[in-house]
Formats: sequence, structure tokens, C-alpha cells
Amino acid sequence: MLKMKQLGKVFHTGEVSTHALREVDLHVKEGDFVSVTGPSGSGKTTFLNIAGLLEVASSGEFLLDGDNVNLLSDSQRSKMRNQKIGFIFQGFNLIPELNLFDNVDVPLRYRGFDAKERKRRIEQQLELVGLASRMKHLPSQLSGGQQQRVAIARALATSPRFLLADEPTGNLDSQMAQSVMALLEDINRQGTTIIMVTHDHGLAQRAKRQIFIKDGRVSELTAVEGLHSAGLERVTPLHTHGSADAARQLGV
Amino acid sequence: MLAYYLRLALISIRQSPGLSLLMVLAIGLGIGAAMTTVTVNYLMSANPIPHKSEQLFYVQLDSWDPHQAANENGDPPDQLTYRDATALLAAKKAYRQVIQAQIGTVVEPEGKDSLPFQVSGRANSADFFAIFDVPFLYGGAWSETADSEQQHVVVLSQSLNERLFGGKDSVGQKVKMAGDYYQVVGVMANWQPRPRFYDVTTGAFNEVEELFVPFSLLAEPKLSRNGNTNCWKPSGEGYPAFLNSECVWTQMWVELRNDSEKQQYLDFLNAYVEEQKKLGRFARPLNNRLSDVMQWMENQQVVAEDASLMMVMSLMFLLVCLLNTIGLLLAKFLSKAPQIGLRQALGASRQHLFAQYLTEAGCIGLAGGLLGLLLAWLGLQGVTLLYGDSMKGLAELDWVMVLLAMGLALLSSLLAGLYPTWRACTVQPSQQLKSQ
Repeated sequence: MLKMKQLGKVFHTGEVSTHALREVDLHVKEGDFVSVTGPSGSGKTTFLNIAGLLEVASSGEFLLDGDNVNLLSDSQRSKMRNQKIGFIFQGFNLIPELNLFDNVDVPLRYRGFDAKERKRRIEQQLELVGLASRMKHLPSQLSGGQQQRVAIARALATSPRFLLADEPTGNLDSQMAQSVMALLEDINRQGTTIIMVTHDHGLAQRAKRQIFIKDGRVSELTAVEGLHSAGLERVTPLHTHGSADAARQLGV
Repeated sequence: MLAYYLRLALISIRQSPGLSLLMVLAIGLGIGAAMTTVTVNYLMSANPIPHKSEQLFYVQLDSWDPHQAANENGDPPDQLTYRDATALLAAKKAYRQVIQAQIGTVVEPEGKDSLPFQVSGRANSADFFAIFDVPFLYGGAWSETADSEQQHVVVLSQSLNERLFGGKDSVGQKVKMAGDYYQVVGVMANWQPRPRFYDVTTGAFNEVEELFVPFSLLAEPKLSRNGNTNCWKPSGEGYPAFLNSECVWTQMWVELRNDSEKQQYLDFLNAYVEEQKKLGRFARPLNNRLSDVMQWMENQQVVAEDASLMMVMSLMFLLVCLLNTIGLLLAKFLSKAPQIGLRQALGASRQHLFAQYLTEAGCIGLAGGLLGLLLAWLGLQGVTLLYGDSMKGLAELDWVMVLLAMGLALLSSLLAGLYPTWRACTVQPSQQLKSQ
């Protein structure tokens, strides 16, 4: 479903080149719930942006449902993003001047649904996140947790197969974070593939698969009985280079 | 999607009213200034008789001083001598022909309480009314016989008929002018060609005269002429000598229906001049002209140079206003970069974003256009106040100019919006989303 082969991303600033991602090999299957952890500046967000077609890789191959996205035009990527991917951000990223109904409406407009279908989907999604009664409210009239629920409703409105979440609980207190996480798990159970970047080790462990990124290199962590209870995992390298570094970081 | 973009544009405009107002003001001022001068130029350069402007020709003969041309360009004088005009009229070589000159006279109304008053008039041959398609309210033109017999007949303007006869059908009534009685044969309906092309030598934008009498009456000096008279040598003593002089003060128009008629008439003019040369006149090289209406308007520089200059300056002012608008739009759109990034993440293509933000620019432009129209109207009132009655009728916005103003405002704002929109759409969505 999502395949990255030897994927790399380099940012150039003047004469300085920064390798944000190096030789990433990853295969995410339909229905996966993948958490992505790693220290700040390790390349987590770059990884998520490339997965979400918001950035283009500098090297390697990225296949989404068999399509090499590096070869797609800007408008083709926009269309694919609209049809297949939903985004949830740490800062919610709701449009402040639009009410909840209109916020959820945004991706549906670009999808080209008619008014009746848009209304049906908006009401359905707001119902799902428990905010159907507040669809005429502005985001500023909601709590952080409620705003994130609206963002989830918006992400799901187009029925995407992928949900990409960039620290979705980062701005929430622990109770709201648990609530949002439970909602994501529920969404995943219904078949949506989720890739979630998080700093929260506890939430990361609730995902079906855990990816660790350090210095742009990706490793997969596999829970091992005994080690898990001690809060440790075994690192399964997803690439030929750098696995030792990642393992050393974890002390495994 | 247009309705959606319009809604987003209105929300965005309401969100930053100060900035939006500044942009509307900038476009409004530019459009207002541009439309004021463009309107004046447009009306000045309008074709006053479009359906036959290419069939009406102004006649010029070079009867001027053999040692010096009538003007710097070497063109013939812009009027004819009385003797040439009457000779050409008598020859009847054109489909229609008219000779004319402006006059001024005093009308003496009947009734004890009515005081005499001065009016501007025109002495012209009978074809004047047919050749220029003059509309009549009552009666009609006088006959050629009236011309040849110097009959005291008159055609009144609607306003003069209103003043003298209360607007009633006055055909057959008498009007006393300069001590003589003239019988009314017709009353014109309102007629005000702009420019007043049939005689631009006495002011292209003056009002149409209030009464018209046969040109042949000018053979006697009872009616005083008001127009320009230019002589390159002394006219001699007495009125008969003046009529027979080389002084030019008569205008002539002919109606020629096709190129063949035009060529034949030009040949006739050349033959006439060659004949006159044998009599010792027309010492200058053959230089006869037939100019159609628009050529004659251009020749006479009906669109004043200062009006053209003002228009160029106002268009430059519009450009400055647009540059300001570009700056303001840039500030506004770049402040929306995070939202643009978000919309891209949610599936908006650059085409979607371009359409959305150009719609907003267009809305601002249309609002600016409406303000510009109001300012243009005020500007035109100012022009009328400044230049007086000669600009009356030129200082009016017709529907063409209203459409032009709105179109110009829309086009200007879209052009002004292109760069800011492009800049806003080239931001990396990933950076914007992270920074939110």
C-alpha cells in the first residue's frame, strides 16, 4: 500500500546540505497503525510530509497504491492527497473564521462532492466525534480536545485510506490525549491505515507497529516479552545502514 | 466553486476591513481618475454620426496666399470663400451639398412684456437638414426655392420654440428678427451631436444653434455673422467686395455615397480650381481636400492635446494605485500562508488556490470599481464646473463607460492579484503547517 525504497530527503540552505532522511525502506500495509517516534529534528515530520505528498523526496522511490508519486504533477499529487490521505496536526489547524461545518467542508469541496453529499458526510463525521450539535460554532468556541476532534472529522470526511497524524495529542492534556487516541484506535479498527508521529512513548506503544527515526534513519521497534515490561524494545533494522546506531541509542 | 470562492472572499474581506478598505480606496481612486479623463476623451473622440460618417465630406480648397500656406502643415484653409462656396453649391455636383456659416441675431417676441433677446443661429442651404439627419418635431426643412429666392423662412430649435410659442406647433407662425419677419417652416426635435461636427471652427462642443435661416440671406448684410473670418489679403471696401474677396468664412459639406462619387467630386473640385487659376486665382499648387467626418475631427484636433495628456497622466496614476494594491494584497495573502498550506494539505491544487485568491482580488476590484464610478461622476461634475457649458454633455457617464470602468477595475485587480497569489501559492505547505 505504501512503499518507500531507499528514500532520501536533502534540504539545501545556501552551501549547507542537511540530510533529513537517509535510505528509508518501509512498507506500510492496509490497516496498519504505525507510530513514529524519535528525538526532535530527527526527520519525523519530514517523513510524514513525504508520506502525505506535501514534500517530494530527493532520492529513492515512493509508491502509494502502486503509483510512483515522485513522477506525479502538482495537481495529481493534490488530487491523490485529497482522495487518499487525511491529515491531523498538533495545532489542529482549523480555519478560525469558518464554523465547524465549513471547516469539515473544506476537503469535500476540493473533492467535488455535491451539496447534499457534502452535508451528509459533514454531519456524519461531526456525529462520530460527538460535535454534531455544535456545527455552527467557531473553533475558538471549543476546547483543544474538541478542536482536535473536529480536525479528525475533517480528515475523515473524504473517507481517506491513510490518516497521517503529526503529534495529534501534543497540545492536549492527558485525559483529552487518551480520548483522542481511543478515537484513532477506533478509526483504525474500522480499516483506516494510520501513521502517527508522537513524542508520547505510551501512546506510541499502543500502535500496531512502531517506527523510530534518528538522524534521518528509520528503524522498526518490535516489542519483546520481558524487555517490553522494562520499557525496552528490540530494534529491527529497516535499512542496511544505521541500525546499529539506532540500537545503540536504545541501549539494546 | 465560484459561489464558494465568493463566500470565502467576503469572509476574508470582512476579517480585515482596514486593509480591504485601503485596497478598495486605492483602486477606486485610480479608476475614478482614469475614468474621468477617459470619459472626456471618449466622448470627444466619439463618432457623432456613425451611420454615414464615411459618406459626409468636408470640402477644402487652397485659395490661400501664394507665398505662405494657410497653416504650418501646409493644409488648405479650413473654410471656403463665399464666392467659391456659392459656386460649388450652384454646381450641384454632389448627391447632397450644404454651405453654412454661423450667425447671431436678435429675436423680438410679440407682446408688450416680452423683451428682445440675442440668439445664436446658422445660415445654411436647404440640404443641411437632410445631410445631417436633423430630426423634426414639427414641419421640416425649407425648399431649394426658398434658398434661391432668399425667402424669409426659419427653422427653430425645440428650446426656442418652447420660449416663443410655449412648445406648440408653430409652423406658419412669424418670428421677428433684426427688424424682419421670418415664417417658421419647421421645429427641430432635440438634436445635439457631440462633437458638433458640422462646424468645429466655432467650437466642437458648443450647443447647436437656436435657429436656422437660408444661407442666401447672407447676400445682404442684415444678419450678422458670428463665425471666424480669415483673410490673406484685404477684402476691399463694402459688403459686396467682402463677399467677392479671398476671405474664408464659409463651411461646405457634401454627401457622396461611394468611392466613385468621391473621386468624381474631387475631379470636379480640381477642374474648378484649374478654371479659377486661369482667372488669376488659386496661385498655390493644387491642394484640394475631401475629409470624411472622423478625418476632419482629427484634422481639427477635436480631442484637445491637454485632454490626451491628462488621460495619460491619470492612467499612470492608476498604475501607481495598482502597485500599491499589489503591495497590500501581497501583505494580506502572505499572512494567509498557513491557511494556504492547510488547504493544500486538504487537497487544494494551485489552480484551486489561484481561483480562490483571484476571486478575492476581483471582489476588491469590483468594490473599487463602484467607488471609482462614484469618484468619476464627481470628477466629471468638477470638469463641468471648471470648463462651463462647453463641457456639458461631455461630462456624462454612459453605460459603455460604466461597463468599461467595472471591466477596468476587475482587470486591474486581477492583474494586481496575480503576483501576490502566485507568491502565496508557492509557499511550502509543510513549513506552514509546522509553524501553525
